[in-house]
Amino acid sequence: MTSLTTFYLSGIIGKVAFGADGDAIGTIKDLLVNAAPTGQNDPSHQMVTGVKLKIRNETKIYSFKNFRVVKAREALNVACTRLSELRKEGVDNGMLLVENFLDKQIVDLNGRKLVRVNDVRLATIPTGTYAVAVDIGIEGILRRIGMSVPIKGILSLFRVNIPAKFILWDDVQAIDYSNSNIRLSKSYAKLHTLHPSDLADILEELGKKSSMSVFTALDEEKAADVLEELEPHVQIHIVENLPIDKAADVLEKMPADEAADILDELEDEKAELLLNEMDTESSQEVRELLEYPDNRVGSLMTTDILSFMPDVTVDEIVADLRKKKPEPAELYNMFVTESEDKLIGSFNLRDLVVSDPGTPIKDIMRKEPKFLYDNQKIDDIAELISKYNLLAVAVVDEEKQLQGMVVVDDVVEDLINRRRTKR
Amino acid sequence: MYKRLRDSHLLRKVGVFLAILGPGIITGSVDNDAGGIATYSVAGAMYGYGLIWTLIPSFIVLLVIQEMNARMGIVTGKGLSDLIRENAGLKITFFIFVGLLLSNIGNTTTELAGVAGSMEIFGVSKYISVPIVAIMVWVLVVKGTYQIAERIFLIFSISLLTYVVSALMSKPHWGEIGMAVIHPRMEMNTRSLSMVIALVGTTIAPWMQFYMQSSVIEKGLKMKNFKLTLIDIAVGCVVTIVVAFFIMVACGATLNPNGIIINEAKDAALALKPFAGALASQVFAFGLFVASVFSATILPLATAYYISEAFGFESGIDKKWDEAKEFYILYTGILVISAIIILMPNAPLIKISIWSQVLNGILLPVVLVSMILLINNRKIMGDYVNKPIQNFIGWSAVILLTGLSLLLIILPLFGN
Repeated sequence: MTSLTTFYLSGIIGKVAFGADGDAIGTIKDLLVNAAPTGQNDPSHQMVTGVKLKIRNETKIYSFKNFRVVKAREALNVACTRLSELRKEGVDNGMLLVENFLDKQIVDLNGRKLVRVNDVRLATIPTGTYAVAVDIGIEGILRRIGMSVPIKGILSLFRVNIPAKFILWDDVQAIDYSNSNIRLSKSYAKLHTLHPSDLADILEELGKKSSMSVFTALDEEKAADVLEELEPHVQIHIVENLPIDKAADVLEKMPADEAADILDELEDEKAELLLNEMDTESSQEVRELLEYPDNRVGSLMTTDILSFMPDVTVDEIVADLRKKKPEPAELYNMFVTESEDKLIGSFNLRDLVVSDPGTPIKDIMRKEPKFLYDNQKIDDIAELISKYNLLAVAVVDEEKQLQGMVVVDDVVEDLINRRRTKR
Repeated sequence: MYKRLRDSHLLRKVGVFLAILGPGIITGSVDNDAGGIATYSVAGAMYGYGLIWTLIPSFIVLLVIQEMNARMGIVTGKGLSDLIRENAGLKITFFIFVGLLLSNIGNTTTELAGVAGSMEIFGVSKYISVPIVAIMVWVLVVKGTYQIAERIFLIFSISLLTYVVSALMSKPHWGEIGMAVIHPRMEMNTRSLSMVIALVGTTIAPWMQFYMQSSVIEKGLKMKNFKLTLIDIAVGCVVTIVVAFFIMVACGATLNPNGIIINEAKDAALALKPFAGALASQVFAFGLFVASVFSATILPLATAYYISEAFGFESGIDKKWDEAKEFYILYTGILVISAIIILMPNAPLIKISIWSQVLNGILLPVVLVSMILLINNRKIMGDYVNKPIQNFIGWSAVILLTGLSLLLIILPLFGN
């Protein structure tokens, strides 16, 4: 007997466990893995803690402590020294491999995509039995339907090899916890390492129930970033199904123009409800944006902009930026306004960096900056932006009062969307 | 209130409907593929108006099944193959999808046979038409976007109505048709029985269920607008049945009284010529061509999608070859194998078409049973589980189809 035994989940399910005296005890139906994250690099989170046994007509979950899996001449034997039922907390902190994991979609954190679980590889060492890796390859499928050996035999005649595809247990995130009582925010902890757009892609592919439960487990900041990246119909599904207060909190964290786009797609009553729930400042901005018809510049602009009075010095502006920590897009272009928000100039980060700290901004700003009117047709934006190589362009109303700016990212997105629907 | 929100309520409603419109109608149109057209033509030629009545139960079952698919797609946001894999286990999934793969290679072959046949009527050799269409289809799907394809298909589906023209030009006897529908009759022998199975089987093909459910998800439809989705499905089913009806009428009015027996759709187009004129024959051939290309585009793609979905392969035409190798191999493989079969001299086309229909017949009850079990599962569907009447129609269809399919498989064993 070696101290290390590796085996597959598919190999142990349906096996009969034997007692110390050699009597059959019951059939193995499922394994319970400790799913509660107890901290980084702690192997106990992948330990098998329970086993679902069918003894005559009764199925219960027992502690795995007294079980051992032994491989004797290629055959797996499961030995049990003593049966003790697992306590409820133990069951609640775990995840059943067959019920919650096998055949389900999981997130491959390295590949940043959804994959399907074909099998699970486990290993027994003296300290216990652990889930080691997830099999997502074709070989796993063949093994499950009992054709791995014959097909591999045939293929080896042609020197073709079925490559095995595994993901380490540490690099996966289970999604479907529908049947267990685990606290979701904790169990999705690993997903926070993903970039919002990757997370959005994954959410789009998930079913409605799972995408909701993953989304609600995110903190507000992350949730707002992810929501921004989602396809419109998924955005709407999520906003409609979140509790009003939570939805309003997430929308507040989003740029006003993105929030307006989502609210615009909702039913009037629901949109009004959300706007009332949001804090006054955010909802005011969104309401203003909603006033613009779809094909006007105003509907595409963001109101998150930075504008300064002409006499402010470079030094003061930089200090202000350090304090506010604005989003990257806000720094594409900054503006100078005189009384009544009249736009008189623009400047960018480079202008700040290369100038003397004490210079007033009016001395280094670009006079007569390019701008668009808020009721101008959307089609005019692309032309202006590409002609002058702008990252963002100011938007003013008829009185030349600064209203916001249009950012190149949004223009590109809008162009792509329109191209898609036009053809 | 907001200007953007206010923009005319009626316009908005029409807009919502147009946005929702699609899955049902497209599925309904793809349903009348080369195999379907062949089956309806043969049935019309052989039995006249005698089997038209089968379209009525087919319509009811089709409607109920597609409604179930749409509901499952909207509520769960998951494709049928996802749901089957997650709830029925790997063995059943494997059985269904190997069956689906084989039957869809057969079906795609039939579609390309339709292309070959219809173009031969216009004097184009199949060695030219089949490779061109196959490459065209491949490029359209891999290089184009889903939206272009969908628009093209919607325009295509209108041309299916050419069959109505064909039928009217053949001057059918409406009184007799009415009588045949009111008093359904069926001879109790293998030939007639297998004809009936083929008719039902080609109208309610298993892959359609997967296709329908995915399109509903792709559209991002909601339960709130389910009435509009229902209208879309109903229109799609009506299109399917109306086209089938007129094909059977056209062939029943011209070929049957003259005792002309045909084997495939192309024969029908050729045989129409002396009775209904060259134009009717060409109209029929054009409809056949369009329907064949339409289905030859969707079938291999859909099959590649469902198999990838069920087995967790990366899928999607927006992925690169290296990212979604299995998906592209499946998609390209189905098209290439089908094209090769068609281009083989003396290929047993009729046998292939019959066998893929038999496979469909075996698969359909399995898929239906999985569907009914899934849709009655409250964990999956919540409050949107089936109503008793839907279960009744669903299970009746399963029992009937299983019975018929079993008969079809068993009868040849005893000889004719």
